Amino acid sequence: MRLALRELRRRPNRFAVATVILTLIALLLMFLGGLLDGLEAGSTGALRRQPADALVFADGAEGSLVRSRLSSEVRDAVAEVVGDDRVGGLGSVQLGARLDGREPRDLVPVVLFGYELAPDGLPEGGPAAGEVYADTSLEAEGVEQGTVLRLGPARSKVRVVGFIDDARYSGQASLWGSIDTWRAVLGDNRPSARVGEGTVQALVVRDDAGRGGAELVEALDAAGDGATESFTVDGAIDALPGLAQQRTTFGQIIGVTVVIAIVVVALFFALLTVERTGLYGVLKALGAGSGSLFAGVLLQAVVVTAVASAVGIAASLLLDAVIPAGSLPFTVTPARLVSSVAALLVAAIAGVAFSLRRVLRVDPASAIGGAQ
Amino acid sequence: MSLALREMRRAKARFGLLIAAIALLVFLILTQQAIQDGLVTSFVGAIRQQTAPVLVYSTDGQRTFQGSVIPPPLQEQILSAEGIGASGGIGQGTFTVSVSGRAGTEDAVLIGAEDPALGGVGRVDEGRLPAAEGEAVGSAADFAVGDRVRIVPVGVPGGEGPEIEVVGLAEDAQLQVTPTLFTTWETFEGAARAANPDAEAVLPNVIGLAPAEGVSADELVEAVNAVSDDADALTRAEAADETPGVAQVQQSFRVIFLLYGLVVPLVTGLFFLIVVFQKSAALTLLRAVGVEAATLVRSLLVQVLLVVGGGLLVGTALYFPLSQMEVGSIALRFDVAAVAVWSALLLGLGLISALVAARRVLAIDPIEATTGGGAR
Repeated sequence: MRLALRELRRRPNRFAVATVILTLIALLLMFLGGLLDGLEAGSTGALRRQPADALVFADGAEGSLVRSRLSSEVRDAVAEVVGDDRVGGLGSVQLGARLDGREPRDLVPVVLFGYELAPDGLPEGGPAAGEVYADTSLEAEGVEQGTVLRLGPARSKVRVVGFIDDARYSGQASLWGSIDTWRAVLGDNRPSARVGEGTVQALVVRDDAGRGGAELVEALDAAGDGATESFTVDGAIDALPGLAQQRTTFGQIIGVTVVIAIVVVALFFALLTVERTGLYGVLKALGAGSGSLFAGVLLQAVVVTAVASAVGIAASLLLDAVIPAGSLPFTVTPARLVSSVAALLVAAIAGVAFSLRRVLRVDPASAIGGAQ
Repeated sequence: MSLALREMRRAKARFGLLIAAIALLVFLILTQQAIQDGLVTSFVGAIRQQTAPVLVYSTDGQRTFQGSVIPPPLQEQILSAEGIGASGGIGQGTFTVSVSGRAGTEDAVLIGAEDPALGGVGRVDEGRLPAAEGEAVGSAADFAVGDRVRIVPVGVPGGEGPEIEVVGLAEDAQLQVTPTLFTTWETFEGAARAANPDAEAVLPNVIGLAPAEGVSADELVEAVNAVSDDADALTRAEAADETPGVAQVQQSFRVIFLLYGLVVPLVTGLFFLIVVFQKSAALTLLRAVGVEAATLVRSLLVQVLLVVGGGLLVGTALYFPLSQMEVGSIALRFDVAAVAVWSALLLGLGLISALVAARRVLAIDPIEATTGGGAR
């Protein structure tokens, strides 16, 4: 083992190219994972913020807020299951927001949500009419407390009274106001999407009876009598169009990239082992066991991978810092970095295992028999 | 040449592993290229396929059909611009639909054009163009001629939506990765009213324009944008390329391609550098017995070409069956141009990466064969 570490210290150039390749692969894994996480976070934040045991949509809306409409009769039916104060309406509309001091065509895309039950991170009791909480990603656009945004072609004015973190939806920043604010803004800006009094797009449901997700969803849909399709929050996220396909596709690409890492490590250490066959013969003749020789190779692979991972992490963090907000949906999370490093270490160990047979086959007699 | 081939035959596992690594990388690059192209086409294919040379969004629409609404005063302003030959409103909406012969409901985008020459579909690959209300051309990946598509009014108790018959199919005609139907304005309006009886009015999302004779599409865009800051005119190609999300997708894939593109020559270069290092004693001996350095370098480059070429062949062979499939509703396609470009690029980069190894070969001094230096 000491020999392996000494070789790494004394001849770092020998391992430099392999380290560079593994660094690129580490960066690829982290970048691909960061893209997936960024896309998911940007699409699902508003749903994850819901303090709900279930979300109720209109049957046939396929979990889409825009296409879902629930009347006050449906709301009453749902309230009978959990109690009136445990049900809150939810509505959304995507609009362009105008900010003072900007060019007339320079709009910020936002989703205005109207809510009755406060999302996690917002105080109970919704904001007053015309007031909204803004997603923190809007701070990068210069939005601060007190900023007035003019929404849509009707220039509906809303004033920011606070912020909420990680609440993006459909890749856009969100604003959170009362249901009445939402209904007014929707009607003023989207005549074809106007909804009647009491109508909402979805219902946020809390349950104090301690029913599990499936049981509650079943009870709500039974009460809805075919007019509703209910989901747990995770279920509603999974129902978002394209999310499952996105996860599968990125997962497969990441999987093949890990296989490439295995092949690269295998190739590199197989070649190094071939080069050292004579040396291993001498060491074995001096009493070194195959196990300790292989452990040395393994240690070198782990060190090379660790260095590559460290550089990859630094590069990922740098990318995260320099990518302008809104240009690429890239997010670095500790969980993603740890899983990428773990995948690379497993790949390194699997790759170096290909050299095991060659190490075992080295004959100590070759050291004194002049087989070289 | 024979030296290069003989060495490869004798070290099959070593060269095989390298070919496998390159093949996997090529497979990944080509697959991701196909996913990128398929994704972009599924996002904006309908915009490319529609007939209007110029599309006018509301500035508030942020260059998306679904976000844009053109109220009558804005429409008047747009139509007051100089250089308009013809105009027509285009409506777009995503609806829940049931399709004959299929269980359950699904999503579909409906695009309704007042004038089929300004927002209708440009060509059909099967069947015919709509000739009457209630007829549509569907995206070929999602519909068949003869399908009957019924709009399902969601959350409207007792509501019944109109039925649309698919009379033609167009390839690459999806919008927002959703099955898409091109139909008449009247059919679209009926669907919109059925889906939301509370709707006050059904307004066009976009205005399709054709330039007057002697006016180019770019000139018309400029003229329309000059009449109102609330109008955002774009040529057809610009409208497709500048749809939100398209640039992000392309940028993300560009970074991924760059990283994969760097890995291929680095792996190749590293491999041949180590191989040359290992063979230095034999190469020194060959030089000492009169083999030209150029011959050895040629042999090295032949190996590089064969290894990268082999990787390209295997990678392309793996990519071919995958390119015939669909990822969700994204249709992949075998892109000959992409294969050719990547092959040329990776072969070139592979050869460049082998230059370090070639330099080492050229630096071999035959005299070292007599001193044992070549074995170091």
